[in-house]
Order: sequence, then structure tokens, then C-alpha cells
Amino acid sequence: MDYYLSVATFAALNAILALGLNLISGFCGQVSLGHAAFYGLGAYAAALCAVAGAPIWLSIPVGMLVAGVFGVITGFAALRVREDFLAIVTMGVGFLFLGVVRKQQWLGAEMGIARIPSPLDKWGYALLSIGAAIALLLLSLHIRRSWMGRAFGAVAQDEDAARSVGIDVAGYKITAFLLGTAAAGLAGGIYAHMTQLIVPDAFNFVQSVTILAMVVVGGIGSSWGVVAGAVLLTLMPEMFRFINDYKLLVYGGLLLVVMRFSPGGLAGLVFRLTGRRLA
Amino acid sequence: MYLLELLLVGLVWGCTYAMMALGLTLVYGLLRILHVAQATVFTLGAYVGLLVANHTGSLALAFPAAALSAAALGPLIYRLVYQPMLDKPPYVALVASIGLLIAMEDGFRLLFGPYGLSFTRNTWFTTTYSWAGLSLNVVQISMVIAAVGLLSAFAWFATRTRAGVAWRATVSDPAMAESFGVGVSGVRYQSFFIASALAGVAGVLVGLLNNLVEPGMGAMIGYKGLAIIVLGGLGNVPGTLVASLLLGVIESFGTVYLDKLLDRDAIAFLVLIVILMIRPQGLLGKAH
Amino acid sequence: MKFHHIASVLLAAALAATSAAPVLAQSIRIGFHAPLTGFAASDGKSAVQGAELAVEQINAAGGVNGRKIELVVQDDQARPDQALPLANKYIGDGLKIVVSGSYSGPTRAAAGVFHQAKVPYISAYAIHPDITRAGNFVFRTSFMGEVQGKAAAKLIGEILKKRKVTLLTLNNDFGQALTAGFKEVAGRFGISIASEYTFGMGDRQFGSIVASVKKDDPEILYVSGYFFNGGPLVAQLRAAGVTAPIVGTEGFDTHNFITVAKDAAEGVMITTSLDRDSKAVPMRKFITDYETKWKAPADMVAASTHTAIYVAAEGLRRGGADDGTKIRAAIAGIKDFEVATGKIGFNELGEIYKAAQVQVIKGGQFRFFATIDDPVLLAPPTK
Repeated sequence: MDYYLSVATFAALNAILALGLNLISGFCGQVSLGHAAFYGLGAYAAALCAVAGAPIWLSIPVGMLVAGVFGVITGFAALRVREDFLAIVTMGVGFLFLGVVRKQQWLGAEMGIARIPSPLDKWGYALLSIGAAIALLLLSLHIRRSWMGRAFGAVAQDEDAARSVGIDVAGYKITAFLLGTAAAGLAGGIYAHMTQLIVPDAFNFVQSVTILAMVVVGGIGSSWGVVAGAVLLTLMPEMFRFINDYKLLVYGGLLLVVMRFSPGGLAGLVFRLTGRRLA
Repeated sequence: MYLLELLLVGLVWGCTYAMMALGLTLVYGLLRILHVAQATVFTLGAYVGLLVANHTGSLALAFPAAALSAAALGPLIYRLVYQPMLDKPPYVALVASIGLLIAMEDGFRLLFGPYGLSFTRNTWFTTTYSWAGLSLNVVQISMVIAAVGLLSAFAWFATRTRAGVAWRATVSDPAMAESFGVGVSGVRYQSFFIASALAGVAGVLVGLLNNLVEPGMGAMIGYKGLAIIVLGGLGNVPGTLVASLLLGVIESFGTVYLDKLLDRDAIAFLVLIVILMIRPQGLLGKAH
Repeated sequence: MKFHHIASVLLAAALAATSAAPVLAQSIRIGFHAPLTGFAASDGKSAVQGAELAVEQINAAGGVNGRKIELVVQDDQARPDQALPLANKYIGDGLKIVVSGSYSGPTRAAAGVFHQAKVPYISAYAIHPDITRAGNFVFRTSFMGEVQGKAAAKLIGEILKKRKVTLLTLNNDFGQALTAGFKEVAGRFGISIASEYTFGMGDRQFGSIVASVKKDDPEILYVSGYFFNGGPLVAQLRAAGVTAPIVGTEGFDTHNFITVAKDAAEGVMITTSLDRDSKAVPMRKFITDYETKWKAPADMVAASTHTAIYVAAEGLRRGGADDGTKIRAAIAGIKDFEVATGKIGFNELGEIYKAAQVQVIKGGQFRFFATIDDPVLLAPPTK
């Protein structure tokens, strides 16, 4: 039972991360290769608060806030550079985050932060993360239907055209970064309390790529697809435990094959098979 | 003296980056693809070079072998992976490329083992020349010669040969080039061929410098190569060279002077972010 | 899995009922996770080989209380988020003891889970100080980083009588812990730290560090790192003409280090727990059996996991195979237990004390140089 609970919790955390990235990359078209940095920012901020004695209902929002603030800063950077330039800049943000944290004694440097208070039990974390994932899914679906969602779509499709019809491109980009990175901060806060130890390497480039992979395997832009992608890629290593040695080979190969034959991901596949677009 | 030595170290390392980044910028200039999987081409070159050197006992033979094997893999990646994705959004090729890198790294581990392989006789590394207190070993000297020689050869190709002119025409306007009878597809294969051969040679040289060839050896150089081509102005060849040398030198000084603040990888990307915020089009790139 | 379990119980029962032959006892399962893939796969491979050798030797010697033992190996990619579900899976599958052949991140994440489930958990070589603090069901069979750093300070200051040292520290928990321990006691041995430089796990090119060492001209170097970064570092130092002696750590304790650094490795000293020239039987047997079975020289990671499996088996022997609490008590009671890495026993935190071995590389082989047996200096923390 505990096993299924912990897998479900990680699937939900990954869904939160992927939905957050989907807001930025899927809805608003700003490809990010550094999402794990915001996951880490949330985790570190929440951990520091919790170690200083703050209760979990305070530490997790602080994590979201810190991640969101840095997300907004990155959003401003996104105004200066576009597309492939932005992809590499966000990759740089990820490496910069790691490189700074590794050297800061007050963040525990390589030792990370240990003995983070864990006020909930396994059920608590599972329900909290699944609840948060569902809330974010509903928010995503709502945004998609709203005026904001259409504005995001316009920015993603053609910035200049969006600007010419009076859409506040800068404002929407920054909003997308704020929402997406705060979501990552939320996941980070829950993760920190649950594992009680955070180390820099948990938030490295591989983690960023993993989150991006969940988004594109699910189908970039589709909230349901992204959740499915997150769940699938969380379960995959569990299902493939019997091929321990070939796990990464299969994982890399899967990314390649999905992009080659169904670049729309699972959502694209559903569309092709049933003619229905997943929201 | 010490500062001069740091500068020299940085320039040598910058030459490595240049050999990796030139290929990345060729591919980007032509296809708008961030070719992350170039790192596996680099690693393949290193493995093939090492196997040939260890079997024949000749380090010199390692280079043609590495260049050829790498030059075979690169166009293959283009044909099987990128070509069908050219009309898709840019993230499609990017993610596919990352997937290929992950899979190939693990493939190398399964084939050649996780510990990596070493050259049995690496005389180039142990033979050093010193003058005025500065010392370089033969691998480092070869690195500089290879970078200068191969990049000059490329410059000659691009400006003085018919194929080179066709190549440049295709980069600046594929449709126009095609109407003048340039085979765009051939030009693409050429670019992957050149880019991969350079990466393969760089792979052997780095393998010799480390005396270690390992499955993941290409990844970080590949990521920094991407940072370099962005820094230079995407698709801009002279900008890429300037950025390579600049990054090598900054890392060399930063490793010593910024040690308490940042690690080496973060230094590279900090430079990238700061410069891009000031010049979003990159060092020598043209403004939109 | 469940069906399989029931089926084998039924089968065993049927056999017992129908024949006079002794009951075919089921083997005892020991959980074992290590990074088989990802950046740490080289240590993962050594870890699995060390563990499998231990299982083979134990079974060949009659197993545990007449039953065979069996490893249940899982890959954690050295990632904490892989370790948590994995720990719960082991618990859910009813395993009563688990050994970590992995790094600090995943080991610490799993330690809390095992402690709560009252399943004894032994960390073979992860060095984070907080691992054993997860609770009293958690044990560690290797040195802590700080302790090993202190041993190196004694080696440099007291045995080698060098004063001016430059530290080249690997940027990870291992390197930082070593350096912290070294600095803590350096003054006591009259050592002054001339300079300190750091490098990352992925770094292989150290030109600027080498130039700085030449400028600082220390009497001796204390270098952390693993074979894949320490090997190139030592080779580059020597190639540039740095002749100061080099003291390394158990991260260099693998033949791969010598393969990479070649002649530059000659004379390098390391602090470790594996003495190649030891006459002690368990250690000799480990070294020779390992080479026979795996056609490769043994290393520290393999020796540490080998030790951890022996400790697990001893816990099962003394505490029975069914009750985690009894097994925990049995392990906690282990004293002067002779294994591949020396004579070990646990303190109240679940840490061990053992003498540090100093090995020197001579003629391309690790050789005995000194033993540092200082129970006060090398005492692990107790809380």
C-alpha cells in the first residue's frame, strides 16, 4: 500500500511540475529547459522556513512565492530573448541555480538541508499533492477557456501579430512564468517536507529535461495530456524495474520515438485516433 | 606569469569549445536545430579513436578513424531523426535530440562499461614542451593546431570554393539558393558531415587530455557548446569562435577567482545570461 | 508476486507432507539498491559485484541458519525521488532487511522510510552525516567523510611531517565532508592551509588549478575526488611538473585510478579501509575471490558493499529472518565482527569505528604504507 501511495505522490508532484511548465511552454510558447531550478527554489525556501520553525501551511506558500519571484525575473529575461535563445537561457538559469546553491554554506552547500520537519504522514502527502495537482489541472483547464488562455495562445503563435492587435505580450509572458514557476515551487515545498533532506543534485538539468519530457510526451499544450504524460513517465521506471539495466536506454528511445512519430504526444495520438482534441 | 598561464590554459580549452561549437552553429545556421545529440557524435569519435589507438598502437591513426566514424553518424542522425521533423515546431527536434543523447549515453555504457576506457600508451600527454615557464603537452598543442587548422580549412571552404559559396547561399536564403540550382539537401548532409568530423576529432583530443573516454563525456561540452553558439549569435561562425575562446578564458580565471561563489559550469552560463541581457542577439549576431 | 509467494508456501507444505525429506527452506531476501544507470553507474557496478560476491560466499559457506540468502537488486539512478518508491516497494514486498549500495541523496531519503517501517537499513558507503540520524534502524559500515579527513590530517602532519598543504576539494558531499574534517583538526597537527581550490564532479580539465598549485608551491597536496576526476587531476599535476606528494582518499581506491593516471599515480597515498597487504583472512578472501569472479581488481565500493551484506547476514543469523526489530537489535549488538574492511562494531548511532588504512601506489599496485589507529581522533559521532 505504502508503495502505491509513494508512487502516486510522485506522480502527482510530477503532474504539478509538468502542468506548471505547460503553462509556460505549452500555453504561452516559451520553451524552458530550466524548470527544475524553480522546483529547487521552492524546496529550498520551504525547507529553510520549516527548519526555522514555520508550520507547513506557511513554509509551502513561501516556497511558491520565492519560486514565483525568480520566475518573474526569468520572465523579464524572456522578454529580451526569444525561442531558441530563451531555451538556452533557461538552461543557463538551471545551471546557475545549481552552481550557486552548491557553494552557499547557509544553504548547506553540497550537504543540502537535512532534518526538515515532516508534519504529515504518507496519506497526508499523497492527498496534499494529488489535491494540488487536481486544483492545478482545473486551473489550467479554466485558463485555457478564458480570455487569458486565448491571449497566451496568440503570444505562442505569433508574438508580433499578438502585439499588433493590442495584446500585452510582456504582461502575459510574465504571468505565465509567474504561474508556472509558483506551481513548481509548490511541488518543491511538498517534496522537501516529504523527503526531509534536499540536496542540489535533485534539481539538476536531468530533472529539467524529465519535466519537459513529461510535457511533450503527454502533448504540449494539452492539460489532460500533460497529466497523462507525467503519470506515464513516473510509472515507467516502476514498470520497467525488471529491465533495470536498460531503463535509460528505453527512456531516451521513447522520447525520440514519440517526437519522431507523434510529435503531438499522447494528446496528438488521441486526436488522430478519435478526432477529439484533449483540452 | 601566473596570469599568462591562466590565459594560455583558457585559450587551449577555448579551442576545444570552438571545435565543438562550430559544428553546432553550422547545423543551427542551416536548420534552426539545437543539435544536443552532437555530444554523442563527439563521444563516438572518442571511443573509436581510443579503440583504434589501443589496437594499432598508433595515436595518429586514431584521428582519421574518429573523424570518419563521427562523420558517418552525424548525417545518419540528420536523415533518421531531424529530416522528418523539419516542418515541426523547434521543440520537437530539441526533445528528440535530448532523447537520442540519453539513449546513446546509456548505449555506450552498455557496450563499453560504466568505468570508461583509457589509452594504454598516451605518449602525447606525457611529452611536454616548456618555454619561459609555460608548459604545454603534445595533446594541448595538437588541440590548438587542430582547431586553427580545421577552422581555417573551413573558412577557406566557405569563401573560396564553389561548394562553400553554395553552402553560404543556402544558409542565408534556402529558397533563393535552390532556385539557383543549389542542392539544398546535399548542403545539409555536407554540414552534418563537417560538423560531426570536427566533433569526432575533438572527442579524441579530449579523451587524450583526460586519458579517459566515458559514456557521459560529451554532455557538458555539448551544453556549453549550445551556450557558446547562442553567445556568438546563433548561426554566426566568427561570433562562435570569439565566444568559444572568451568562455575558455573566463572559465580558466573563474575557476580560481570565483571559486567561493559559483562552480565552473555556472560561470559559463552566468556569462551567457549577462551578455544576452545586454546584447540579445549575441556577441556578433545581427539585431532583429 | 503474492501468488508466487503463496504458491511456493503451498509447494513447500506439500513437499513436507508427502516426503520424509527435509523441508526445502525458502531463501531469505535482502533488498539492495544501487545506481545501475545514470552518472554514478560505475560505482553502482562495483557495488553490485561486491554484494553478489558476498552472497555467493555466504551461501557457499552454508547460508544463514541453513537457508540461502538472495539479493533483490533495484536501480535508483542515484536519485532521491527514485529511492522513496523503491523503499516502500521493498517494505510492501515484506523484506526484513535492506542494504544501500548508493549515494547519500537516495540513501538518506530511503533511511527515514525504513526506520518508520522498522526495517533495518545498512548504508554501505554513502557518507552524509544525517543518514544514521534518520533513526536507530539505520546503520553505516563505512567511514564518515569527516572522520577520514581527520585521518588524512594526522597522516600529513604527524607521519609525513608536512606543514604547508594545498587542498583540492571535490564539490560534492563527499569532498566537502573530507575537507571539513581535515580543517577541523589541521591546526592540532601543525598544518597550515596554503590554499584551497574546488572542482566539480564533471570536471576533467584542471589547467587553472594546476597553474595555481605551481604558483602556491605547497609541500603536499590533499586531493578528494573519484578516479574519473581525481585521475586526470593527478595526471595533469604531474605532467605540469608538480612534484609535491599527493594524499588522496578512498575515492581513489580503485584500480581504475591507476589505469587513468598511469605513471603519475606512483607514490600517491590514500586513506581508505581496504588494506591490500593485509594477512587477515576475510580481507584476503575478498580480494582474491573478487578478482576470480569478476576478472577485475577489487575496489573500495565493492569492499564496503561486501561488508554491508556480511553485516546484514550476521544480523539475520543472530536475530532470525522474520522480525525487523530483532534483526536491528542483533546488528546493534555486533562487536569485533571481522569483515573485508576490518574489525567492526556499531556505536549507539549506528556508526562504526575502524582504523584507517594508508595505502601507497607502488609499481602500479596499492601497497600498505601505514595504519592510523586512533579511537579518539577517528571516533564517529554518537548522536
